[in-house]
Amino acid sequence: MIAAFTSGPNGTVLVDLRSAEARLLADLFGDLLDLLADDDPQPPRSNEVDPLAAELGLDGFGDDTPTARPDDPALARLFPDAYPDDPDATAEFRRYTQADLTAERRRRANVALESLERIKGGGRLSLIPVEAAAWLGALNDLRLVLGTRLEITTDDQEPGQDFGPSDPRTAYIPVYYYLGYLQETLVEALSG
Amino acid sequence: MVTSAPVEVDRPDVRGEEEVAEETDRPWTTIVWNDPINLMSYVTYVFESYFGYPKTKAHKLMLDVHHRGKAVVAHGTREEMERDVSAMHSYGLWATMQRA
Repeated sequence: MIAAFTSGPNGTVLVDLRSAEARLLADLFGDLLDLLADDDPQPPRSNEVDPLAAELGLDGFGDDTPTARPDDPALARLFPDAYPDDPDATAEFRRYTQADLTAERRRRANVALESLERIKGGGRLSLIPVEAAAWLGALNDLRLVLGTRLEITTDDQEPGQDFGPSDPRTAYIPVYYYLGYLQETLVEALSG
Repeated sequence: MVTSAPVEVDRPDVRGEEEVAEETDRPWTTIVWNDPINLMSYVTYVFESYFGYPKTKAHKLMLDVHHRGKAVVAHGTREEMERDVSAMHSYGLWATMQRA
């Protein structure tokens, strides 16, 4: 029986995870954090802080703030262009939103990882509403990343049909379906 | 921060009031595009929980996205639409903004 989320008491959601599932999910959330860290928009800065910029909350808006579309297609899918016909406005939008959005995605993955720590070896996981919301976002991020890696570009497409037999991505096709099922049950549990 | 006082301008009344309001108060739109990865139930859930749309409206918008390839999901000022587009990106939806 594959794990499924159900509604619990007081707005909680519940899921029974076998140890292998808990381990797989922890590995995937960890991979997501690594991917988002690669795009860390704030490399170490010099110790000199511009007092005016700090006062205005503008420190961090230096030249290292991202403005370009990420090269990695999975990251480009997580952070789409906001203005399809206006590269300047799109770059400006990235400059003001992408660092916060990256931090939010990392926060959600960390919340999911921390909750999995409670059931190392598998068992019943009970999530309070803020944790469930973080799981929903983090599961969706994982599916967007995996789906992009699996080159899913059209509805009703069979993932991996063009992959060669030794393509390592083939191993992730069942994982992609598993995450979709898990997310579907989570949406249902939250809507119920 | 300052605001400038609105200037009264006489103009020929050739358009409906709604149309004028659309252009002056809510000149930007948030558009969500179809993508083959997001679950239909999830997209409906996002429209319900973020915009506060009733389930029927959220479901219809999701179907518009799915069948027509895209749907306008919100109108507003440029600042409001930037906030909505950013929120849609946070949810993982493929959203863009443009003038209405």
